Amino acid sequence: MALRFSFSLVLLTVGLSACGRTAVRASEKEFLADQVMVFDNDPHEAASDDHILTNREGAAGGHGAGGGGCGCN
Amino acid sequence: MWLQLARSNLRIVSLAILLSSAAAFADDRAEVSTSVFEERRQGDKGGLTVVHPQVDFGTDIGSHVSFDAGYSADAVTGATSTVYQVDAVSSATKFSDVRHEGTLALGFMGRRSKISFSATLGTERDYLSRQIGGDASIDLPGRNTTVDLAYSHSFDTVCDKDNGDAMPLERRALTGADECRKKDLILSSDIAGTTVWKDLSIDTAQFTITQNLTPTMNLQFAAYGQVLEGFQSNPYRRVRVGGNSPQEHIPDTRARWSTSVRLNRFLPKLHSAVHLSARFYDDTWRVIGADAELGYSQYIGNSLLVKFHARVYQQSAASFFKDAFFYQTESTAGEYYTGDRELSPVRSAMVGAKLTLITIAGDKPVWGLFDKLNFNVKGDLLILDQLPADPSLDNPMGIGTQFLYGTGLLDAVILQVGLLGTY
Repeated sequence: MALRFSFSLVLLTVGLSACGRTAVRASEKEFLADQVMVFDNDPHEAASDDHILTNREGAAGGHGAGGGGCGCN
Repeated sequence: MWLQLARSNLRIVSLAILLSSAAAFADDRAEVSTSVFEERRQGDKGGLTVVHPQVDFGTDIGSHVSFDAGYSADAVTGATSTVYQVDAVSSATKFSDVRHEGTLALGFMGRRSKISFSATLGTERDYLSRQIGGDASIDLPGRNTTVDLAYSHSFDTVCDKDNGDAMPLERRALTGADECRKKDLILSSDIAGTTVWKDLSIDTAQFTITQNLTPTMNLQFAAYGQVLEGFQSNPYRRVRVGGNSPQEHIPDTRARWSTSVRLNRFLPKLHSAVHLSARFYDDTWRVIGADAELGYSQYIGNSLLVKFHARVYQQSAASFFKDAFFYQTESTAGEYYTGDRELSPVRSAMVGAKLTLITIAGDKPVWGLFDKLNFNVKGDLLILDQLPADPSLDNPMGIGTQFLYGTGLLDAVILQVGLLGTY
């Protein structure tokens, strides 16, 4: 199970990385830069939601880091 | 205590969100917010109320260094079931507690990458948490793929009743009257015969990859793993086993992992966006859970944003979880017994809406300081459905009274008000 999961992860990573080179040009990132396209664009909201749900559910984590959108670190 | 432990579990996630979002904004920023969580309870126990203020700010020092600082608190009042049995309500006791947590982080930025180091301290009456962590992210060539890696280690200590060498079924639970002594802000001190501090170490790692798929769609995949080693029982909780009521006893080791996928799709003609997410969770206690969430964001003009969202969740019980009736009439599950509803079979649904008022600076900054200011108001309704742990066995007492749940359809209400500014 763990091996299959790791293999899937590697495949997904390589796949996404490959398409990242040509997927979207810089001039096409107007919508991706919008705040609604940024994962967890409100850090307090995301932290508060996780805080509440983790206190009521056995599951935890896995929702990923914030950011994204225009990919402009 | 339960708040602090859960907080430790998710702190790495919150930190990764905070630091990565800071990178995404690429601006100095400040955020202040308060959440209020109100849970209904049976009878006249007054419910559970949690007030959760948070304040964070981040600033760049030169062009390659950033500094983040944050503070949050939990003020909790409510009732807790001290004995897990089929009549939890009559044995519930009222309590209140306050938790404080502070974080400092230092980041170093390159042209396409960032690495951050952080330290967090959390304290409350019966729990101390000291955590160090790091988060690294990089944009791959093309700037359409962002990879993020985060890791943290927590050195936590939990106050417990000093039970000496007593066997689990002989252990007494901690009470609010027992003193939990601290030497100073970060060190604890045992009181022989009364209370001892027990260690809990938590290692957490998270991998995230975010990918722009098209000019209007992006995708995020995340994998999360955590190992907890040490005292994880609620020291206050007792479980009725036969004629005795010993302190809850659960395993010292728990390894857990989860994976999630999230997708955003912008709809230019409608000036709106659709959000989808799904997560799968598994751990060595055999709690298996999954959730799915659907969201929709709609701009109204240029300064108002409304978001609606709905989420469903379901999990199986831990391998050693039994409904209270069976602990009481049969005995333990192996050597363990628990009254933790987070380890029970449960399903829940949450629906909510968020209103954001966006103010963008024109010739002059907003309030003389901000380039952009978001004022948020959010409300959520939570519905929870307790399921029998072993439906194949006859349980004449049912499961409706073993936890302190409300008797109506609505289980909890969450309100949040916040201000997020970049400058």
